[in-house]
This record gives sequence, C-alpha cells and structure tokens, in this order.
Amino acid sequence: MNMGRVMRMLRKDLWLGPRKTFFLFAVTMPVVLTLIFQVAFGTLFAPSLRLGIVDYGESALTSGFLETAGIQVTMLNEAEELKNKVEQNDLDAGLILDAGFDAAVNAGERPLLEMYIGGESLAANRIVFIITGVDLVRGLAAAESMLPVEVEIITSGEEGLPIAVRLIPLIMFYALVIAGVFVPGSGLVEEKENSTLTALLVTPVNRSEVLAAKWMLGFILCTVMAAATLFLNQAFGPRPLEVMLVIAVAAALNSAIGLLAGIFSRTSASFFALVKGAGFFLFVPVIFYIFPEWPRWIAMIFPLYWIIEPIWQVSIMGEPLRTVWFELTIATAITAALLLAALLTGRRI
Amino acid sequence: MNRQFSRNVSTKKQKKQFPRGSLRVTSGSLITAIIKKDLKSYCRNKVFIFLTVLSLVFFVLIFWLMPDKVEESLIIGFSPPLAVLVDESRAALDELSYDREELAELYAADLSQGEEDGLVIVELEDEEQLGRVVEGRDEVYHTAAGYVVIGNTVGGRDIPAGGRKVNVSIGIAFPEKFFAAAARGEAATVTLYTRADVPLEIQKAMESLVREMTYQIAGYELPVEFADEETIILGRDRLGQQVTMRERMRPMFAFFMLFMETLSLAALISTEVLQRTITALLVTPVRVSHFLAAKTIFGTILAFSQGLIIMILVGAFTPENWLLLLTTIFIGSLMFTGLAMIIGAAGKDFMGQLMTGMLFMIPLMIPAFAVFFPGTAATWVQLIPSYPVIDLLAGVTIYGVGWSDSFGALSYALVWVAVLYGAGLLILKRKVESL
Repeated sequence: MNMGRVMRMLRKDLWLGPRKTFFLFAVTMPVVLTLIFQVAFGTLFAPSLRLGIVDYGESALTSGFLETAGIQVTMLNEAEELKNKVEQNDLDAGLILDAGFDAAVNAGERPLLEMYIGGESLAANRIVFIITGVDLVRGLAAAESMLPVEVEIITSGEEGLPIAVRLIPLIMFYALVIAGVFVPGSGLVEEKENSTLTALLVTPVNRSEVLAAKWMLGFILCTVMAAATLFLNQAFGPRPLEVMLVIAVAAALNSAIGLLAGIFSRTSASFFALVKGAGFFLFVPVIFYIFPEWPRWIAMIFPLYWIIEPIWQVSIMGEPLRTVWFELTIATAITAALLLAALLTGRRI
Repeated sequence: MNRQFSRNVSTKKQKKQFPRGSLRVTSGSLITAIIKKDLKSYCRNKVFIFLTVLSLVFFVLIFWLMPDKVEESLIIGFSPPLAVLVDESRAALDELSYDREELAELYAADLSQGEEDGLVIVELEDEEQLGRVVEGRDEVYHTAAGYVVIGNTVGGRDIPAGGRKVNVSIGIAFPEKFFAAAARGEAATVTLYTRADVPLEIQKAMESLVREMTYQIAGYELPVEFADEETIILGRDRLGQQVTMRERMRPMFAFFMLFMETLSLAALISTEVLQRTITALLVTPVRVSHFLAAKTIFGTILAFSQGLIIMILVGAFTPENWLLLLTTIFIGSLMFTGLAMIIGAAGKDFMGQLMTGMLFMIPLMIPAFAVFFPGTAATWVQLIPSYPVIDLLAGVTIYGVGWSDSFGALSYALVWVAVLYGAGLLILKRKVESL
C-alpha cells in the first residue's frame, strides 16, 4: 500500500467533500440535534409543575411559591386569562389571590383559597399543589402559632442525571453514524455510480488504497464531529486527551462499518436502505442511557455499546481511561474484524 | 429558442399523429395507464418497498411496546402502621378527650385504599424497614392480600405470584408516640426518607404534609377554605384516565408514514424528470394535465393507504371517529402529495432528493413532536403547514373530538392544502414544460 497515493485521494475527498450531501449533513446534524434535544425537548422528560398566579394584593403567598423549588410560577394579570390557561392545560394549576387575603388569614377568617387545577394534571401534582399551598398559608400566620415539629431528611442513592445529560449519547450516536458510516460509505457508492472508481482503478491505485482513503475520511470527520458534539454539549469532562483517544476508537469502528456498507451496496438507494435497515440494530444501546434502569446486559449485545459506554464514562462521568480498558479492547477487536472483512471483500467494489 | 422550437415541433407532431377524436382514448384511460405504470415502478423499487414495510413494522412494534398506563399517584412509605401510632398514643389522646369513635375509625382505617385520590400509602413495620425499602435493599409488592415486603428477590425467588412491584422512593417515619406529642403541642422529630432522585417539589410537599398532619392532630382547622372539587377542576377531569405515551404517539406515526410515502412519490417523479420519460409520454396523446392528475391520484392513494394501514394497526379507529379520521388522513395525503411534487420537480438523484426532502420535512415534523408537550402549541408552531393535520390527528385519536370541534382545524388544513398542492402542481407543470 502506497501511503502517498492514499493521502492524495484523501486530500481530494476532503477538498470535494463540502459539495456533497452527506458531508454537509454530517457537519450540520450535531448542531441541529443539540439545539433540538437540549433546547427544545430537554424539558420534555423532566417537566416542572406550572402554576399561574393572579395576585391583586402583593401576597406573601406569591413569594412563597416563587421560592419553592420545582414549581415554575407564571404571573398573570387577569383571572379569566388564568382560568383559560388552566383549562387549556397551558398551566397545571392557577391561584387567584384577593387584595386582603393575607390579612384575612392573619385574622383567622379562613378565606377561600381560590385555586384551580387543570383536568389533565396528574393526581400526584394536584396533591403537591394543595399541600404546598396550605403549608405556605400556615406560614403567613404569626410565629407563636407554629407547632414544634421538626422534619429530618435522610437521602439515599444518587441524584439522577438530568435528562439533558442522558440525551448526549443519542446526539453522539447521530454524529458518529452520519460522519463515520454515511460519509465513507456514500462516498464509495457514489464513486461506483459515477464510474470514477473504475477510472481510478486503471491508474496505479489499488483497491486497498481506495478503501484506506475512504476509511480515513470517515475516521477524521467522525473524530472531529464527535469532539465538536461533546464540546457543544459541554461534556468534554476533565480529561480531554483521554476523551480524544476514546473518540478515536469510536471513529475507527464507525468508519469500518461505513466502509463495509459501501462495499456491499451497488447504488445510493440500496446503501441508504442497508444503513437505515441496520440503523435500529446500531441504535439500541443509546436507549439504555435514556432509561438507565433497564438491564445493561441487553445493550452489550449490540456493537456500538462498546464505544458509547467508554465515551459516556470518560467524557460525561469523568472516569479515567483505565476504567474502560475492557470496552475499548472489545471495540478495537470489532474494528479489526470489520477492517479485515472489508479488505477481504474489497474485490466487490 | 431551440427548446421552444423543439416543443412546438413536438406538439405539432403530436397533434398530427394523434388528432383529437381520432383515437378511442379517454382522459380517464390515459390517467389510469399512467397510474398503473407508476404502481409498477413503485413495486419494482425494492428500497422504498423495504423502507415502507420496515417503517410499518417498526412503528407498530414501538407503539405496542410503549407504556399504556400513566403512573400518576404519589406512593409514600409510612411507619409505624397507623394502628400502632394510635395504640401508642391512646392513653394521651383519651386524656385529652379525643372522640372515641374518631379514634376507632382512625385505628381501623385502611391507608392502602387511597389510589383513586392519587395518594398510595404503604404501611411498613418500623423505621428500619422503611429505610431499607426507600434505599432499594427491600422490595414492596402489591398483592390481593395487600402490600408484602421482601428482602431477597435474587433470581426471582420469593416474589409473590401475581404481585406487582411498587416503587416506594419516599417515606415518613413517625415516632411511635407522635400523635400524643402533637396533640399536647410537644416537640417531635419526624424523619423523611427519600431517594436523591425524588423531585424537590415532592420532598417539600412531604415536609408540608407532616406539618399539616401535626396541625390536624393538635386540633387546628385548615387556615383556608377550598371550593368544591367540581369548581376547582377546569377542563375535562382526566384523573385515572390520563393520556398515555402510547396514545400520544398515534398522530406521530401517521405523520411519519405520510412522510415516507412523500419520499417515494418524490423519487418516482424525480426519476421521470431525470430520465426525461415525461417527454416520451408527451408525444403520445397524454397531456401535462393527465400527467399531473395521475401523479395526484397515485400519490394521494399511496399516502392515504399507508396512513390508513398504520392507523388500523395502532387501533386508532372507533365507531365515532372513523369518518373524521379518514377525512384527516385524506387531507394529509393531499398535502404531502403536493410536497412530493415540489421535491420531485427538483429532479435530484437519490441522495440529493433525500436532502431536499429533509429540508422540507424537518420543519414539518416540529408540530408532530409538539403533541408531546402539554398545552397549546406556540404560535410559530401553529403557522407550520403540517400543524392543522397533526392537531386534527391528535384531537381525533387522543381526545375524541368531533366534527363541530374540528371545523376550524379542518378549514385551516384545507387552506394549507390549497397552497401546497397548488404550488406543487405549478412547479411540476413548469418543470415538465421546460424539459
């Protein structure tokens, strides 16, 4: 294998790449997905309780709700607007406080707590609103009427990771697959479709050099895009060099998959169908990071687990490289097997 | 100039070869012939057939794997059992002249029956057991006989037959003489066991609950009054009948199937544009209008049938909604056919067409995801053409809305259909004429 020729082909692919669909797709997708998942849908899986308040008298109850963790308060001006929003499920609950509410509570008049609950509010949330509301009203009363009960809190287990963090493997998956699988694979198929590959092979360039150039293209782009994705999601962790090493192993494996898919596909359409068909098989491990309570051994059956787990541990959890040596060894072995298969079947191109 | 000249020649030649009325071909038979040809081309395209079948199987599988129940209750561990709390404080409560009947009722109360109100209380033997359950070292199962706590479930051993696991992630441990202390106004310390991943608002609410219980036992009445339940619940009360994730997915699946078929039709059209088979067709009695009509009918039938199949497979049809749902799918099919014409007219190769398709489809997908968010979609989402179709699908399949409630959305959807389908026809017609 002549490395000079490989590098020349790689340079040509990198130069012409930005004109190609999947190249552009690979570059823009991590940014778009980060925006979609983190900004738009990040709150979907971890919603706060939504309470609307119309306060006609600057009640201390409003301040109490504003300071309560986990309840997102929206201040409104009109009672009708509040009721409409609660009815439309734009708010989980609404509270209307008359001008003399606090004074009436202090005077022991037991005023009406005008609280409205949306019909779609979950039962648990209804209880939280009412109990919290009553407790805050008790707090309005004079200090001497407070009862001497203390609540001691004992916390166990680990605080669950925010959903925004658990979605990072999903975004990483797309960055790895589009840059690592689609770019080298579609590049190879396009060369077949346009017959430029035939032209190349009548020159001194041989098949393994073409495959090496395509693999390196996927490897470089995949490494850059995976690193960029982690950077965009502020998940590079405390050991950037170790993260880069893990990303390199992931990029090598994905590019090998892309290369094989490219070898076995005759047309762009069949390549797309092959990758889309196999997509679910590749995607499965990602789900286990969104639902961490699912049994992890199932994820281990799928090849991309062996690269997503090291990325998760080293970049997101901040663990040292030595904790994932086993996963990296398996990933390297899979990559070697795939590259060997690509070399052996390279005649098909 | 040359192109104009060749088109004139072609049209003249066409008229000379096939003068109107000389052949027994009707517009209907011409359109049918094109539709048949399209159907054959579609069936020969293994990629799209594969992707259609794959999408169908995948969506149906995902749908039936989704949870069909919403866990909306608050589950709280409680120790010691209420009967023990009452027993331990009975003397003090008697001394304070507590109503004996009330005490007897409290003693006999079954706390496990509160699920309908959204509060599930699991009584545990003592504080130690409560701590173990919350930490996850012991497990709680709900059986016909009540709650059963099990310490060792390795390999499934000891799990009661038919038992349903109950996740107790927060619990309150009262001192045994808590009632007596609260009634006398004496200091008491209650321990709240919680897992770190329990939301803060629930932890705070449990602290509030303990304080309120103390007030109630001490004889304080509520500091405020509440209106009756019917007044404070606004909108349809879905307590115990919340919309599940599975139900929310139905409109999205219909949308994605329409999307898949849009790509298929766009591929058929762009192939005709790329290979210029349209020009060959136009030297026969076929006119551009026949070609456009055939594409419209074929595209609409294709998308409609796929939408129909997926809706049947996910059980979306009911005796009440079938006509409105069919109408909605039909409107969606027509809208996506218009889009397919726009994408196909670009005449790109497979990858190019996929990219163009994505450029259109990514914004159109936003309303499909908006269904998952509670409440009204943002104004900018409502301006997206696919919004009224998704809104209708969600309304019909999730909330059971009828014709009268759907009138606005139907009209809005038809406006977008007119715009997109009109644009599709115009763009494709101009493209065909320019070939």
